[in-house]
Amino acid sequence: MTHTQAPSAGAAGAAALAVTDDMTVYSARARKEELLSALAASTELELDLSAVTAIDVAGVQLLILLKREAAAQGKTLRFSNHSPAVVETIDFCNLAGPFGDPMLIAAHSAG
Amino acid sequence: MDELTATFIDESRTLLAAMEGGLLQLEQADAGDDNVGGIFRAAHTIKGGAGVIECRFIEAFTHIVENVLDRVRAGDIPVSPGLVSVMLACCDHIGALLGVLVAGQPAPPQEVAAEGDALRAQLGQWGDDDGQAADCADGSTVPLSEAVTASGGGVVSSDAWHISVRFGTDVLRMGMDPLSFLRYLTTLGEIVTIETLADAMPDAAEMDAESCYLGFEIRFQTRAGKAEIERVFDFCRDDCALHILPPQSKCSDYLQLIQELPEDAMRLGEILVRIGALTQAELDAGLAAQAQPTSVEFDGDESGARAPLGEILVGQQAVRQEVVDAAVLKQATVKDRKIAESRMVRIQADKLDQLIDLVGELVISGASTHLFAQRSGLSELMESTSVLSRLVESIRDAALQLRMVQIGETFNRFNRVVRDASRELGKDIRLAITGGDTELDKSVVEKLGDPLMHLVRNAVDHGIEPAAVRAERGKPHQGTVRLNAYHDSGSIVIEVGDDGGGLAIERIRAKAIARGLIAEDAVMSGAEISNLIFEAGFSTAEQVTNLSGRGVGMDVVRRDIQALRGTIEVRSTEGVGAAFCIRLPLTLAIIDGFLVGVGSATYVVPLDSVVECIELQETTTGRNYLNLRGEVLPFVRLREMFEIGGDVPARQNVVVVQHAGQKAGLVVDRLLGEFQTVIKPLGALFQHLRGIGGSTILGSGEVALILDVPALLALVTSAEEKLVSPAPSRGRPSGTPDSQHLILQPSE
Amino acid sequence: MSSILQVRQAVPAVLAGSQPVVRDDAGSLQYLTFSLNSEMFAVGILNVKEIIEYGGLTQVPMMPAFIRGVINLRGAVVPVIDLSARFANETTRISKRTCIVIMEVVEGEVRHDIGIMVDMVSEVLEIPAADIEPPPSFGARIRADFIDGMGKVAGKFVILLNIAKVLSTEEISTLAAVYPGDARNPHLDG
Repeated sequence: MTHTQAPSAGAAGAAALAVTDDMTVYSARARKEELLSALAASTELELDLSAVTAIDVAGVQLLILLKREAAAQGKTLRFSNHSPAVVETIDFCNLAGPFGDPMLIAAHSAG
Repeated sequence: MDELTATFIDESRTLLAAMEGGLLQLEQADAGDDNVGGIFRAAHTIKGGAGVIECRFIEAFTHIVENVLDRVRAGDIPVSPGLVSVMLACCDHIGALLGVLVAGQPAPPQEVAAEGDALRAQLGQWGDDDGQAADCADGSTVPLSEAVTASGGGVVSSDAWHISVRFGTDVLRMGMDPLSFLRYLTTLGEIVTIETLADAMPDAAEMDAESCYLGFEIRFQTRAGKAEIERVFDFCRDDCALHILPPQSKCSDYLQLIQELPEDAMRLGEILVRIGALTQAELDAGLAAQAQPTSVEFDGDESGARAPLGEILVGQQAVRQEVVDAAVLKQATVKDRKIAESRMVRIQADKLDQLIDLVGELVISGASTHLFAQRSGLSELMESTSVLSRLVESIRDAALQLRMVQIGETFNRFNRVVRDASRELGKDIRLAITGGDTELDKSVVEKLGDPLMHLVRNAVDHGIEPAAVRAERGKPHQGTVRLNAYHDSGSIVIEVGDDGGGLAIERIRAKAIARGLIAEDAVMSGAEISNLIFEAGFSTAEQVTNLSGRGVGMDVVRRDIQALRGTIEVRSTEGVGAAFCIRLPLTLAIIDGFLVGVGSATYVVPLDSVVECIELQETTTGRNYLNLRGEVLPFVRLREMFEIGGDVPARQNVVVVQHAGQKAGLVVDRLLGEFQTVIKPLGALFQHLRGIGGSTILGSGEVALILDVPALLALVTSAEEKLVSPAPSRGRPSGTPDSQHLILQPSE
Repeated sequence: MSSILQVRQAVPAVLAGSQPVVRDDAGSLQYLTFSLNSEMFAVGILNVKEIIEYGGLTQVPMMPAFIRGVINLRGAVVPVIDLSARFANETTRISKRTCIVIMEVVEGEVRHDIGIMVDMVSEVLEIPAADIEPPPSFGARIRADFIDGMGKVAGKFVILLNIAKVLSTEEISTLAAVYPGDARNPHLDG
């Protein structure tokens, strides 16, 4: 298990989940199944990304897929505590807007 | 000069100032990466602007500067004093090139060009060797490597490259991360906007986490050619779909691109507009011009063109609602930012001045109307004019606010002055700036540059001692020059201080005697002697340096300040330092006044110096002070001072005024109330008149004089000092021995 | 302003007109003549902007007596010089016919309007160059440099004033600067 189920936040179906490893192509296949099943098990999911030290296109795709699935299933999916690597990548791909999660962006501007 | 060029020049000067400020900060160590980024962006923006107005010589030179800065930013080149010096020289050179542009010359003249060549050679030591800088070093335009083939339609307004890439599904499995290619792309230039497309990604069930489904639409700004951009994608070239459109491509090229890409045409169109590759108008015009409905998947929906794009997309099931929402939200924020930018309006200063003048006239005629209304006794008219007066007052305040600027920008200019001057003199001097956010009228700021420059150079040149002397005196090696600004009871105070040697009182005294400014036996305080340096023709510089020994003395500084209705004083402690204190009115145009009457005359006391008004309890002592709640308040009888005839009324009033912590009373006949007033200068004839700051026109059409409270108090003080000092003092050399006549006695 | 009237009855329309005819072919100059302490003076019409009734004057303290004060001329504040006081230290007495002649003085690149107080404006005259004599070295009881020449008009002499000298801003402001040191005003010091 590379991610741990955090205690449920009380309301039925609401859950928080922390990804505790990289989100790269090497673990992408397993990660996809885990995350999709976590989404399937709850109506409201918060994904803690603070421990993601590396993310590549495979990881980005996964995040996009999850958002899309959540919307298709009428569920709420939030990404939170983005690690610097995740922030940088989401910012680079200009996905902060489409994802719509509050994200702490460091004071430097991309230039 | 066209407006675009004028704007470019204006903005470039601001950017150069920012660059210079950043570089100076960089030199002072511990400035972060942000700073380097800021310097780089300034250079980058100037270069881009020069490109837009097609000023090739600025573009070419700035490009080289930018390249070096880019490498500094990337950490390839360490920051060194040498680098900063060369960069500062480059700033100056860009400034000179801007001057060439302003002068309307097509190319820099010989000496400017030579300077540029020298700097290029210096920059060469940090230049990258890929030949990119060399390309531009000859000042020619960087050729676009690909000719753009016209295929109908106009040229788009976008000035960036457009890169469209769809990575092959196997790229991840081949051990490559598409993002690393894109990151590498940034070494060639700047990604202006990027849009990630996941449209090709199948539903969760079919989606293979190890396949790549993403595509990117990128606007990219670079000097590199198409071949170089293509090279970035060399490793995955074979199995990715790459489209590169050079800047200023035809609309039709974009339309063709839209058709070639796998995604829905409407969505792509929207993305291209969103990332700024096309404007909506260009897209619409292009689609209409093509007149091939089949080429764009419009599904024959006639009303579709008018419905919001988002709705159509959702209707077509092309994108999901939440994606559209997020996109719309993002578009909205972008739009907000654009609006915020466009909220700044550049206006010519003289238009603003004209407005302020008109507001001044409005204030005067408003006051006059109000007066007539009061005389008429018509209550409705009075009510309406007082509403009008309030509005006029608001307009006046708003208009004046338009001209208020922070003094920080003026202060920051001196960073460079201090740096250069201290290097030249071999001194280590730091400039400490405080109160830069203090606001004052632009017209005042503009006239403040010269006197401040003189004071700062003076401090650097004569104030701060050589290192050896400082060591001897046990002072820190690094000298400090301070610039400070703050508001104080309706005035702005600007201080120029240093921790140098201070003024040599005895030397000043000797010089003043030699110059015949004071009598040999004059009894004067140290402060009085210090302030002699403002007398005409006075200079204590023992040797003339090329810094401030320019034949312009402190008298010129004082005259400049007085022309702004301000005062200047110096406080000095020998061996510890000196501080020049400039006190200025906030604005030159309009003041709130308090109207008083003496005999048949009416005077205006600037309201901000009025503390309170009391009735004069006539004393029998004959001394000119009264007891103000236990405080001794000296006062001056305007009737005597101004030699106004007529009978003294039974009841007189005292207006208590305050200036620089000093309180005094002005004895007047009548108190006539507050009055907002436009200052009319009295003209050259009265230039030496002290105690009267200007004039104004009352509602009745009569001219009233505005009292200059600080000068008035100084007049009274100096007269009083003479009264109490028995020895002849400070007379002009040929001067009348008139101290016996200086009697400040009430006539009652 | 209702208190300011244009006095034109004694002055031809050329004064108020926009293009005064100044010099005819014979080299004559046009002068505005006026009286001051029952003496006749003239100034070149080129410098004259307008003539207004005396009134609405605001005194400026701490200035020499010949600077009578300032007036509001349609929104501009214009200083008024008492010529009699400037020439002979005798303050002009105000009468019904006292006027202020607004003169334009050009110094370098700066133009100032300055008013001069006169007892009475008489007329605009054309004085041929041949009828102008050099100023006397003494006897006029006026500083020689104030006089441009002596014009012969109907058998009498009219003093043609050098307005640039009489109204020299530099000189007047300097006088004003030293004025407070004057014994007549003992309680002040410049």
